Amino acid sequence: MYGQGILRGLKVTFQHIFESYMDDIRWNFRRYRSPEAFPERQGVAARGVFTVQYPEEKLAVPERFRFIPFLVVDNYDHPDEERRGHDWCTSCGICAKVCPPQCIWIVRGTNPETGRPVPEPEEFYIDIDICMNCGLCAEFCPFDAIKMDHDYELSSYDRTSAHIYNKQQLSKEFRYWQSIAPTTAEEEANARGGWEHKDVLKQQAKEAKARAKAEQAASDTD
Amino acid sequence: MVATLDGETIEQLQPVMGYLHRNHEKIGERNTYIMNMPFTDRLDYFCSLSNNLGYAPAVENLLALGKRYEPPTYRAEVIRVLMVELTRILNHMVAVGFLLNDMGAYFTPMMYAITERELILDFFEAATGSRMMCNYMRFGGVFKDLPERMRSEASLLNDKVRDENTIEYLRALINERLPRAIDQFDEYLTGSEIVTNRCMGVGVLTQADAIAYSAAGPVLRASGVPYDVRRADPYSIYPDLDFDVAVRYHGDVYDRYLVRLDEMRQSIRILKQILPLLDETEGQPFFAGSPKYALRVPAGESYGRVENPKGELGYYVVSDGGQNPWRYHVRAPSFINLTALEKMCVGQKVADTVIILGSIDIVLGEVDR
Ligand code: SF4
Ligand code: SF4
Repeated sequence: MYGQGILRGLKVTFQHIFESYMDDIRWNFRRYRSPEAFPERQGVAARGVFTVQYPEEKLAVPERFRFIPFLVVDNYDHPDEERRGHDWCTSCGICAKVCPPQCIWIVRGTNPETGRPVPEPEEFYIDIDICMNCGLCAEFCPFDAIKMDHDYELSSYDRTSAHIYNKQQLSKEFRYWQSIAPTTAEEEANARGGWEHKDVLKQQAKEAKARAKAEQAASDTD
Repeated sequence: MVATLDGETIEQLQPVMGYLHRNHEKIGERNTYIMNMPFTDRLDYFCSLSNNLGYAPAVENLLALGKRYEPPTYRAEVIRVLMVELTRILNHMVAVGFLLNDMGAYFTPMMYAITERELILDFFEAATGSRMMCNYMRFGGVFKDLPERMRSEASLLNDKVRDENTIEYLRALINERLPRAIDQFDEYLTGSEIVTNRCMGVGVLTQADAIAYSAAGPVLRASGVPYDVRRADPYSIYPDLDFDVAVRYHGDVYDRYLVRLDEMRQSIRILKQILPLLDETEGQPFFAGSPKYALRVPAGESYGRVENPKGELGYYVVSDGGQNPWRYHVRAPSFINLTALEKMCVGQKVADTVIILGSIDIVLGEVDR
């Protein structure tokens, strides 16, 4: 019969309508408020309405989520006073080289007295309008010093200068990276051999070796 | 489009391209090899993962000319196929949704399609870090292994968390959710008189014409040519997988829609074979060799091609031994399928050109590179 196909199609539509209201009844009309309802109505088994009521509720981003990069600095309450707020970046320039749209600008740090380069960037700019959030900088940084952020709410009223981030705006504590990406941070720490910066670990290893040697020498003379 | 009309009938039609031209190929020649990977995402932004897959083998073929080349590991290939087939389902879902949109069913079917797409994108986001611009494949493997959990509990900035085991999520998605959604689409649209009246016999592209225009993908297969790069020139692990090439014979809009439905079903079939392989290869390396940011590629030329959801996607890369390609060219399926538009439209009514265009399923990021 003509029109049967349409009716069958409409059945699907009605089913969808029905299911979206069924959800309301099931959650006692508290579908948008009860925290348990959220994972379910957004999961694979969800049947009804799929909307997330942004900004009242937000979807958690997964750990690997990439947005504008940030620079890792040591915690501001690091036990070693000298390391507090110290950049992990050594201004090696690999990230600037690998960045596809070339939006990273680094000024190498120099020691004002000796004029020799120091392993810390003087300035570090990222033009976040140009950054395509590809994550290559974070992937290839040999010191785990640049990481992709999770904070995606960056709108501002000024699009000329507010969107070029300087070192201060980019720097975030190491603790922050541990909190947004616990598993990745742990993997990286395992690869480095500890939770500290690579250079610190190297230094520590060296000192430990020297100490062991001294002890050895001391015990030999005894 | 510039159309010459006789009353309501199309006499001549010319697609005008180039409004979104952004120098993709020239930029590709400036970039190093790895830097091109995120740019390929932006070609066909619905299927960034399969664009990645096309580019990776093109460069891998060149790398194979040199010494000390390690081909992608088996696990990497399994993950790649998983990603690509999910992309295919996602793309066809959206393509069917937009086709109905063009037909005037304003956004209801589209939203049903988008819901399913959302679930797939969630998985992509967890695995690759981004929903659409995935940048996931690397030369020799993939960026990272599949994550254990979909979302981290500890994320600071967000209050609502869905924490699920990735493999279980995938299993539920592939075994239940997606097949059900495809069946629902079938029931919803295939028999509907509005769809059949609008689509059947409209925008016919004959077999000979389809070949002459070197159309590809669903457009070609709906015209009765069972050509699929996955079978014609197998790559990755496709030779070991069991699937059929969907083909229909009328070459009209309706058949293109049916081919897409069939292809989604075949993709589900592939994905069901992939799931046990994922379990089997659990813990194996997902990357061969060590990642390099400044890769030197032996001189030579190569053409890497894959069956993108929209058709055959090819990357032609010529290397002179340096760090960036000497020539980089993309054979974009949307672009080539679009050239056949006039053939399909002449003699049809103006209102039908819209759905004919919808049935080719073009993405403008790919038409103008
Ligand atoms: S690659 Fe890492 S260490 Fe090198 S300049 Fe960039 S952020 Fe600093
Ligand atoms: S995420 Fe990509 S585009 Fe952005 S700064 Fe890093 S390398 Fe450059």
